[in-house]
Amino acid sequence: MKIVKWIRSWEFSLVWLLVLEVLVLGAINPSFLNLENLLFSTSDFTHILLAALPLTLVIITGGIDISGVSIMGLASIVLGLAWVAGVNVFLAMFLALLIGVLAGMFNGLLVANTDIPPLVITLGTLFMFAGIATGLPGLLDALGFEAYGVAGFSAYLYEGITGLPRSFTNLAHGGLGWIPNPLIIVLAFSLLLSVVLHRTRFGRYLYLIGVNAEAAHYSAVPVKSVTIAAYGLSGFGAALAGVLLTSYFTSARSDLGSEALLPIITAVVLGGTDIMGGSGTVVGTLLAGMLIGFLRQGLLAMGVTSDVVPVVVGGLLILVVAIKLLLSAFNQYRINRRALQSRGSEKGGGSSVG
Amino acid sequence: MNRILRSREALVLILLFVLVALIGAINPNFLRARTLLNVVNSSLILVLIAIGEMFVVVTGGIDVSVGAITGLSAVILGTSLNAGVPLPLAILLTLLTGLVAGSVNSVGITFFRVPPIIMTLGTLGVYRGLMLIITGGSWIETIPPNIKAMASWSLLGVRVFAWVVLLIAILATLLVRRLRQARYLYAVGDNKDGAYLLGIPVKATLFAAYALAGLFAGAAAVIFVAQIGFVPMQTGNGQELKAIAAVVLGGVNLTGGVGSPISAVIGALFLTAIDSMLVFLKVPGFWNNAFGGAILLIAVYVDYRIRRTLDARQRQIRAQVRASKMPEIRPQPVTEEAR
Repeated sequence: MKIVKWIRSWEFSLVWLLVLEVLVLGAINPSFLNLENLLFSTSDFTHILLAALPLTLVIITGGIDISGVSIMGLASIVLGLAWVAGVNVFLAMFLALLIGVLAGMFNGLLVANTDIPPLVITLGTLFMFAGIATGLPGLLDALGFEAYGVAGFSAYLYEGITGLPRSFTNLAHGGLGWIPNPLIIVLAFSLLLSVVLHRTRFGRYLYLIGVNAEAAHYSAVPVKSVTIAAYGLSGFGAALAGVLLTSYFTSARSDLGSEALLPIITAVVLGGTDIMGGSGTVVGTLLAGMLIGFLRQGLLAMGVTSDVVPVVVGGLLILVVAIKLLLSAFNQYRINRRALQSRGSEKGGGSSVG
Repeated sequence: MNRILRSREALVLILLFVLVALIGAINPNFLRARTLLNVVNSSLILVLIAIGEMFVVVTGGIDVSVGAITGLSAVILGTSLNAGVPLPLAILLTLLTGLVAGSVNSVGITFFRVPPIIMTLGTLGVYRGLMLIITGGSWIETIPPNIKAMASWSLLGVRVFAWVVLLIAILATLLVRRLRQARYLYAVGDNKDGAYLLGIPVKATLFAAYALAGLFAGAAAVIFVAQIGFVPMQTGNGQELKAIAAVVLGGVNLTGGVGSPISAVIGALFLTAIDSMLVFLKVPGFWNNAFGGAILLIAVYVDYRIRRTLDARQRQIRAQVRASKMPEIRPQPVTEEAR
């Protein structure tokens, strides 16, 4: 029974869509099927997954967090500036992650304590965090901090911070055999979030808040702290994405990841999470993110210019949601008709129910 | 007094005047007519996009594709002008592009029932991609001088574009107040099912809202091309978020049913004015976003506090009235110990 349920689930459709996609792209361009290339190409889009995975939790509560793309840049620049200021690079990494969590919790605090729509709050912080990220180098100079070099922190305003130590940049470029480190981190993070979402009380609370926050409140669910934690996790994911991007591109910039908003939300929604809250899975987001990422890689490998990629991703998002809605409407119609038929046949005294 | 306090438009307008006066006190140059008119001129694009966005937000929806529609329309205007299309026809074509792009959103949202944020996020990618495909990814750097000249036409010392936008804003405000079909927008935003039961054409109303948002984004593209004089690929990038910020700042409620074109105008003026104010305070330009975001958050938060205080006071008054009128059915006061 459980297997039947799994086969009929949205995640299963995503699995075979993913297989189909890789096969089709491989048929068009056989070099795409090289397993090592395939695995290492994931590093180009792991930042999307890292931000999308915890965002799933936020959307399940009926909220949304669009400020993640700014938190990526903020984390990256914090890491770079801390390193320039002489902090050990791994301590700087820790600092960047901490900033991400705090930024996310700031969102959560506002969402939990007011009735302002989460979209408005995270829109405000989207601008605020991005502004802070670009302004931070100048601010540190103004506050009189000392940096290596003559021009102070402001030198890094537009250039980005390069020359990060090897031990740090190896983080995103190394791997276990054929599996690159970023992918391992993504898988571990998915596993962790999956367990949190589906196996803990906290996870059940998230669904309950998404279905009916009022009912959750009256059921003695700590709505506020659960909400704050969900947004904090989202901030952590975005910061982790920023740190890995910094390592991958070997330079810290305040505008890293600013183009990722569309694919991040696409991954969550394509993964089967209801944008209104109350349902969704981490596995779905993981699979959908892979689907989008490989599609992008495949299109680029086919020689399609990167301009076309957003068209395909955007079109795919609309198409999938429209098809899902039509299917569920059709299902509803079938169920209704069957119910009507069975009632009609009972009245007629017959017993031939299909 | 309560009504003024409750209206976000008034709150933001007062805040804007206070800020302008404050900056003027620090740097009197800011209060010169030319500076203030410059602020108005540079806000025109955002004002138009924000008015369009308002129609959508009032219905309880959201449109994050308007920036991309502005970009796409600007590209259409640039390429058609360079292909030798006469100016009036090219402008018509641009407005039509906006209208069609908006209508595509409408079709998905009304007929296929795709949630607005998903639909417009998808078309955001599609339109932005189309823009790059049409131009091959390179900027349109040469624009015929005839459209650029339009940006410098003046009437009574104020740019014609500013007059036109003012006229559009007044017209939109009047229509929203007087036109039955425009009232439908509010009815749908306030209570979709209720509106349906009243016989209001919900789908047609939603269709019109997103189409209008597209049309206004197209109109913004005309001003953009005229004022800037070339079409970079970033045209309209992030404008959708600024437009949403502007309407929210101006007092349009994202849950629908509340707001007016005036809100959009005030919000857009405010956001643009902040940029100029920071220049006059000698704050580097890269802080603009941080201040814009912070002010948006502060405005919605202050609004939330005021609303809550007023509601609490009203509840108290109501309770008092009830207590004095009907003492016999007054419930036993619940004390802390009784709980």
